[in-house]
Amino acid sequence: MPNKQGLITRRDFIRGTIGATLATSMFGVKWAMADEKAVRSSLVTVVRDKNVMDANFAVDFKVYQKMLEQTMIQFTGKNNSKDAWSSIIKPEDTVGLVSTEHLNPTHDELVYAVKIALMDIGVPKKKIKMAQGSHRRARACTALIALPALKAHWLTGIGTVLKNYITYSGSPSYYHEGNSSKLGEIWHLPHVKGKTKLILVDALYPLCDKGPQPDPRYKWAYNGLIAGTDPVAVETVCLKIITEKRKAIRGEPWPLSPPPICVEAADKVYGLGTSRMEEIKIEHYGWEQGLLL
Amino acid sequence: MRCLLKRAFFYLTVIVAFSTHEGAAAKMSTYYLPKSVGAWTRPDSAQKIDSTNIFKYMNGAGELYLSYRFIRLEVYEYTADNEESILVELYYMKTSDDAFGLLSLDWGGEPVTFDHSPVSKASRTIAPPNSALYGKGLLRIWSDNIYARVMAERETPVSREAVLSLGRAIVANRKNPSEPKLLDIFPHTIGSDWKLRGDRIGYFRSYLVLNSLYYLSHQNILNLDLSTEAVAAPYEKITDNEDHKRIQFLFVKYADSAQAQQALDHFHKTYLPEHKKDFGAGSMSASPNFFKIEDGWLGYKLHGPCIALVFECPDKRSARMFIKQIQFNLIKIEDNHAK
Repeated sequence: MPNKQGLITRRDFIRGTIGATLATSMFGVKWAMADEKAVRSSLVTVVRDKNVMDANFAVDFKVYQKMLEQTMIQFTGKNNSKDAWSSIIKPEDTVGLVSTEHLNPTHDELVYAVKIALMDIGVPKKKIKMAQGSHRRARACTALIALPALKAHWLTGIGTVLKNYITYSGSPSYYHEGNSSKLGEIWHLPHVKGKTKLILVDALYPLCDKGPQPDPRYKWAYNGLIAGTDPVAVETVCLKIITEKRKAIRGEPWPLSPPPICVEAADKVYGLGTSRMEEIKIEHYGWEQGLLL
Repeated sequence: MRCLLKRAFFYLTVIVAFSTHEGAAAKMSTYYLPKSVGAWTRPDSAQKIDSTNIFKYMNGAGELYLSYRFIRLEVYEYTADNEESILVELYYMKTSDDAFGLLSLDWGGEPVTFDHSPVSKASRTIAPPNSALYGKGLLRIWSDNIYARVMAERETPVSREAVLSLGRAIVANRKNPSEPKLLDIFPHTIGSDWKLRGDRIGYFRSYLVLNSLYYLSHQNILNLDLSTEAVAAPYEKITDNEDHKRIQFLFVKYADSAQAQQALDHFHKTYLPEHKKDFGAGSMSASPNFFKIEDGWLGYKLHGPCIALVFECPDKRSARMFIKQIQFNLIKIEDNHAK
């Protein structure tokens, strides 16, 4: 039974009625309660390399670049990295790279590797923009590549994919706390909708506790790069990794609190993709140990 | 007469000494921190942050400190050639309880004892007896009204020693008060087999912090604010088959009885909307209330300006036992205060 005030409580979470409760509060919003397709399937790739970081967590750029190439081949099914990039980005695109700047920033090495790959397929350097921070930057781009780092967040539960576009709303603080469930609506804004060609999650050195400030006890060398085009599916895989790591650290269930309601809402209310693990095809390549999937 | 004057002078000196210490604590600055530690050196002055610019300094993380009674933050960056820096953050809070609350959000890490810190926490028996915790380069300290974070960008044996030295300097000659009195409500055991998880006890004033300890709602359904204080902790029972059963206990103290009553009304209407027949100011005040919901039995009891709530009880009997025990403790504490 959805709460008539659209107020989300622990009870909604236990009942699995977050979507219904949110839809009640958003009645009349055009994307509320998006139709669930009969059959959905989303591909998420996870490429890992044990040697991408040394004991001091310094990144080996060449190895990370190879991981990116492997990711693109794996994800697109093309024979080489160049063809893979060409299948999602055109040389005439203005490409916005949306990296994370706070808490657990995206490694610069990933940004550089993507820039090089884009220039390699003919995108001029001046048309590759760092697009984080303002809706004006998103507006100026014809294609976006989301480059968040894997991390939990103390106000939204998880702060990786869906939250990565929070500045495009023009009022980021509105989407913290209770309104974190509405993070999905940002992906429907006219200057964002349909522009995201790829999501590449920098999962080399994730943060599995929510902070709010980084605590090195909760960072670990996962050495991974996670990719997909369905933001909800990629977020769901990220959530699974973080949840499993937290359980491993404490030796008992240690659920994210507050729960990341934005993920289910992005699926059931905003129709951005699937949050059901059974609908996500995970293709893994590389280092097996500590995969957590 | 001379003796009386001497005694008066002595007391005056003590009062001045204490008030000077308070003042010094409030104005504490670089004076307390060494200019250099090992290879690291700090700048002459600190970066000063207050509630107006805390978000600029730490983005959304500022919410945490404003959820307690935050006064200001001083930041020092110790740098060294060929070494990653060490960041010292000193959060000045209004009271020791607020600083304790920040530490209580995570009792993990290696307990650290500083030789200079006076051991006067005899009455601290509910939360873990640690005021400094270290892990992988990060030292967190509760020292009177200061909550400190000292973090080495890269942990090495040398940076660890430097971090601990800075911790020692931060706590030197500072008072070492007891944990918040509100924790006294929590018994170590309830019944014969429910044991407090002291390492999960958290002290707070905000629903944002409550949600990071035990999620209830994304809205402030218990009307928490800086005038309230609250403690949350689970109790566990380990059964014969090693199964961990857990009851979550929450205790909130409001500024007055009227605010507590209002908060309970709000909580009931939003969390238990289908239980309208049980809802009413009179019945709520008169006796504890119990409800079977999705994750077990929920019970609550209003007691003057306080509300005790239990969640996830396996049956009504255990919910009642918890509420009764807390009520008993409350009355005992009130009686002790009255003596």
